[in-house]
Amino acid sequence: MGCASSVPDRTTRGPSGLNPVSEGASDAKNLKVKLVLLGDSGVGKSCIVLRFVRGQFDPTSKVTVGASFLSQTIALQDSTTVKFEIWDTAGQERYAALAPLYYRGAAVAVIVYDITSPESFTKAQYWVKELQKHGSPDIVMALVGNKADLQDRREVPAEEGIEYAEKNGMFYIETSAKTADNINQLFEEIAKRLQRPDSS
Amino acid sequence: MASDSDSAYDSAADQNPNSLPDTPINHQFNSAIDDHLSSLTLTPLNDAVSDLAPSQSSNNVLDANSLADQIEAIDRNSSPEFEVSTVETTLEVAVSSEVVVVVEERENNLERESNLESDGGVVVWREVEGDAVASPSSSGYAGERGSSSASSASGIEEIEEHQVRVRDRSLVNGIADSQPAWIPGKRHENEDDASISWRKRKKHFFILSHSGKPIYSRYGDEHKLAGFSATLQAIISFVENGGDRVKLVRAGKHQVVFLVKGPIYLVCISCTEEPYESLRGQLELLYGQMILILTKSVNRCFEKNSKFDMTPLLGGTDAVFSSLIHSFSWNPATFLHAYTCLPLAYPTRQAAGAILQDVADSGVLFAILMCKHKVVSLVGAHKTSLHPNDMLLLSNFVMSSESFRTSESFSPICLPKYNPMAFLYAYVQYLDVNTYLVLLTTNSDAFYHLKECRIHIEAVLLKANLLTEVQRSMLDGGMHVEDLPADPSSRTGSASSHLGQHSPDRFRDTRTGVGGPCGLWHFIYRSIYLDQYVSSEFSSPINTPQQQKRLYRAYQKIYASMHDKGFGPHKTQFRRDENYVLLCWVTQDFELYAAFDPLADKALAIKTCNRVCQWVKDVENEIFLLGASPFSW
Repeated sequence: MGCASSVPDRTTRGPSGLNPVSEGASDAKNLKVKLVLLGDSGVGKSCIVLRFVRGQFDPTSKVTVGASFLSQTIALQDSTTVKFEIWDTAGQERYAALAPLYYRGAAVAVIVYDITSPESFTKAQYWVKELQKHGSPDIVMALVGNKADLQDRREVPAEEGIEYAEKNGMFYIETSAKTADNINQLFEEIAKRLQRPDSS
Repeated sequence: MASDSDSAYDSAADQNPNSLPDTPINHQFNSAIDDHLSSLTLTPLNDAVSDLAPSQSSNNVLDANSLADQIEAIDRNSSPEFEVSTVETTLEVAVSSEVVVVVEERENNLERESNLESDGGVVVWREVEGDAVASPSSSGYAGERGSSSASSASGIEEIEEHQVRVRDRSLVNGIADSQPAWIPGKRHENEDDASISWRKRKKHFFILSHSGKPIYSRYGDEHKLAGFSATLQAIISFVENGGDRVKLVRAGKHQVVFLVKGPIYLVCISCTEEPYESLRGQLELLYGQMILILTKSVNRCFEKNSKFDMTPLLGGTDAVFSSLIHSFSWNPATFLHAYTCLPLAYPTRQAAGAILQDVADSGVLFAILMCKHKVVSLVGAHKTSLHPNDMLLLSNFVMSSESFRTSESFSPICLPKYNPMAFLYAYVQYLDVNTYLVLLTTNSDAFYHLKECRIHIEAVLLKANLLTEVQRSMLDGGMHVEDLPADPSSRTGSASSHLGQHSPDRFRDTRTGVGGPCGLWHFIYRSIYLDQYVSSEFSSPINTPQQQKRLYRAYQKIYASMHDKGFGPHKTQFRRDENYVLLCWVTQDFELYAAFDPLADKALAIKTCNRVCQWVKDVENEIFLLGASPFSW
């Protein structure tokens, strides 16, 4: 990495805040998208990301501060690739006011709740409304019920999630970061739903 | 009634033969400090108030007895939640030898603790305890005193820390660092003010709101401590209503220190015999840590709703506060108000500074490269400098928030001394297990720019092998008292005026000896102009965490006495007790605190201090970050 690239011309950055400086911009074959994870604290946002990006699961809870940034590229069956630039936001209340900083300009929002916690489902609905009001108009939204391995402690029925997701034009999936169940499927499904630049 | 309880209190301490087993130094210090602070010291809120209300301001010193009477008065008038009438009951209970015995049994045998829960002895105690439990009032707290002897009460904590340390040693494989290993996060969460274990804790910290709502407690669940918080609030607001401000309540061995910051109240209850000034400084830092997380604009929430519950806003930050509180017992930066650097060869630090300066010129407000709590290099844009307290709080925040280790992060952070009202944005990335880079900016959109800066910095540091040198310095440590050059006059030819050039066999041989020349065991040198300090590595005979903590406390105490506005400031102090000879020397340029063998000769000790100062000057290139502008606003 040369010196020149360390100080990018600040005028090249758009008004949309935390969006990638356009290096190797998306083309029809190789998409690069900004994805933001939102949801109550403790629902497992960071665990989902770490499972997806590093294939790891750490049962000790590490509270996210502000937001963590990770990226991961996946290859689809049609030989295209999608590079996810993931903003894993902190679920704490004090960061709620700062969320626009992270979701502005995001093409994908993954809203996570914990199937054992009705409060976290309520919080998820708050985030859906917030994004409908202030997010990008064509944002792809996924509603994720995490901790699916804890079936015996389930308090939010899958039907409730499905119904809410359908009403709001989202897709719904239940995952377990602990067992890795449906984690890759979540991101593959998102990739399929992304709007492609016109490939001519 | 209140006076009865107070005398019962004192006799409890007297009856206990173990109450002060290992701290004779405390007696000497305390006599002076006691005179100075008396039982309860009140200062007028401001001069205007005292002029308007001479009858109140003339009452600058109250004793605890009349305070207790007054609390009783408030109690009857306003709040049904706490009953001072139970103070008497609890204290009598505490004095009863039956309780003392049972409690000590519990303390001395950790393994048996759970068994004892169900055995007859404790049932008796629980019944007695029942009276006290009825009211979560200040009385509940006071009950702790009579029942605890300093040695056994400390047993729980010390053993825990020691075990942790042993385990950690095997993990880290003998990395030399004076900081005792410690597990972050809140412990004893299930306790509340009715738990005897909670009452026995030697040092409590509380943050509460002006309406008495708990915000943070070092031990126990905040929500269960609502009654206790209300009591603290009542004490503070009662005194405030009289136009005064409560600073300190002394109750036998315990000090209750108060700090009021607008709608936020901070309280420390401690029987560690630390000076009032130190405890107050710790409360200031605790408040600063809260501001770092939330900014001072949190006050507005209280303007809108005085009963605002702040605990959700601090969700997930227990580890940050507990790690700060832990640092009050090992990190000299917390009372010296200075930072310390990782020892590095001058060109190495220059190289790191140069690359940080590069990014600072591109719109980064502060660029900080640190290894644990030690600064590798630090640059501020436009010669802006960072207050040492802000650095302490920032590094504590970064190190205690585990998520920073996982991936690069971008988080709002407030530097309380820089601007308590506004957030800055911090880009944080660990470059290796202990070394991390923090880039601060005012621009919330700057993440990608800072990420580029980090990539650039990291590439340069790797190329210059700087991270390897940082790790080596962590292993070697800084100044070892054994290396003190023999004679200042012969130092020109001496290789040991460079830190890195000590003979390899020194490590093996002298570490097992008795410290440095002339009985020098340890020193701390603080450069006033640089806002930096250097502390020698701990070596024999100060090699257990307990001994280090004791020396730390002795330094803390003597620092406070050197800076005491009532008596001082002093220029030199020579103090001998059965643990150490402590020698302090404060000049316009530096402060030196040195610990010697208790049998050390005074003249030789003074001579040795001169040699230490000369040695520090000789190696200042390596131990300090030079060229950093001093803190000044």
